[in-house]
Amino acid sequence: MSDLHSHHDHSGAAEAVLAEELVLGHNSHIAVHASSFFIPAGKVTTVIGPNGSGKSTLLHAIAGLISPLSGSLRVLDAQPQTRREHISYVLQNTTVPVGTPITVAETVMMGRYPGLGLMRRPSKLDRARVSEAMEKLRITDLAKRHLGELSGGQRQRVYVAQGIAQDHDLLLLDEPLTGLDIGSAQTIDEIIHQEPEGGCTVILTTHDLDEARASDFVVLLAGRVIAAGPPAAVLTNEHLLTAYGLGGLHRSEDAEPTTDHHHHDHSDHDHQHGH
Amino acid sequence: MDWWIEPFTLGFEQRALIGGALAGLMSSIVGTWLVLRGMSFFGDAFVHGVVPGIAAAVVLEINPVIGAAVAALVMVLLIEVVNRQTSLTEDTGIGLLFVGMLALGVVIISRLSTFSGSLTTILFGDALGVTTNDLWAQGILALAIIIVTTALYRPLLALSFNRDKAELLGMRPKATHAALLILIAAAVIGSFQSVGTLLVFGLLVGPPAAAALLARTVPRMMLISAGIALVSVWLGLTLSYHLGTAGSATMALMPIIIFFLVLTIVRLRLVFAKRTAVERAEYV
Repeated sequence: MSDLHSHHDHSGAAEAVLAEELVLGHNSHIAVHASSFFIPAGKVTTVIGPNGSGKSTLLHAIAGLISPLSGSLRVLDAQPQTRREHISYVLQNTTVPVGTPITVAETVMMGRYPGLGLMRRPSKLDRARVSEAMEKLRITDLAKRHLGELSGGQRQRVYVAQGIAQDHDLLLLDEPLTGLDIGSAQTIDEIIHQEPEGGCTVILTTHDLDEARASDFVVLLAGRVIAAGPPAAVLTNEHLLTAYGLGGLHRSEDAEPTTDHHHHDHSDHDHQHGH
Repeated sequence: MDWWIEPFTLGFEQRALIGGALAGLMSSIVGTWLVLRGMSFFGDAFVHGVVPGIAAAVVLEINPVIGAAVAALVMVLLIEVVNRQTSLTEDTGIGLLFVGMLALGVVIISRLSTFSGSLTTILFGDALGVTTNDLWAQGILALAIIIVTTALYRPLLALSFNRDKAELLGMRPKATHAALLILIAAAVIGSFQSVGTLLVFGLLVGPPAAAALLARTVPRMMLISAGIALVSVWLGLTLSYHLGTAGSATMALMPIIIFFLVLTIVRLRLVFAKRTAVERAEYV
């Protein structure tokens, strides 16, 4: 199945994202102040922080939708804009109008547009990728439904299916689990943690500390990157106090690593850029 | 039955019917994207924005289509200037140009007392004065619009889905948006001689809005919309013939009436469906 993904030439790179003195914002408003950090390739990374901390801005920059105000940002060893065909970005679900008369199947097929261009007819591979994505997200039976008829959770699953139907080495998701029913959240969460098996890098934003703890790597944002590293090293009382101003919200005494499906192999992570 | 076809035994009524039908077809296709992009206000401003161009063309005795095209271009450029040079929202720029261009049109026309009737003709069209040449020009524009919108189906769909997503999918939202503006201009310019600038708007927004209540996919929305437009044109001309009312205005009124009829039927059906469901649940 993973051979359906077209590109894996970056799975050997050490970092998927490398930022040096990166400053992000719009015009005079600065959303992320000078920050240096990296995000490892082939892992699940969560970006966590309070509202307005710059999470979406960071994802937009990684996707190449906005340019840094200063500093450098390299994604898959190049300028983000030049890496677009390797990146799939699932936008926050509130940004899509539900009035457009479009079926679930057609929405997912949009993920194939980069290869299809204006006129090409979808090939067998395109159709296979679309039905595979719909099956993974359990929306096959909704294929002919109108996007506006779906529940919030179903719609979010459609957007994630659209994201994974697109060719990618880097999958970005902006708050994919916020406000979902448990079933939809579990389905999407499974996908997120399966993606690295095919060599793909996943970066998602979240408000949920548990989600951050369950990931391989965490970037803590609050107008700048407070800390980046394995969950145990980042989600400490001290860091959370700096980011949120009120400590670990709940369960602050076990800000230490919980159980362990975590990977601790990042501490000795080396900085080779080799292929 | 004679009552319905009697008007069209007359040559000018036939041309009015064909002109209206072509206007309805173009407007339905372009109007579908206009409605989906939430650009109705822009469309409204646009159909008034071409008035000074047409007025100036009448004064200078050149082809009004050229005048309309120049005015449309000026309007779009100035809206972009307001957009880029100020922090005002887009509708402010559109509003400024809307009033400015319409006023300018009236000023130009009022300068020449002999053309006092022209404003009415520009705004409300002269469906019964359409010539065979007008129809050919309109037909060619309609064909061009169908070809371009078909070629741009994916970019337009991605753009009405989400601008950022369109960008990420390589569907070039800026160029697509510009193409859509040109398509709107083409539909307005191609239609104003038969239905008038003010009433093109009725065909641009009315049928697609009614179709949006019924359609599940964009192509189907265009088809339903075109159907509603054709019925509106035919019904409007027939009624105007028998009632002695203005042809273009009667045509433009139809899609709006159809919209509210469709809305009422869709809502009532929903209420009945719910009631049936509740009753069924109670009997279980």
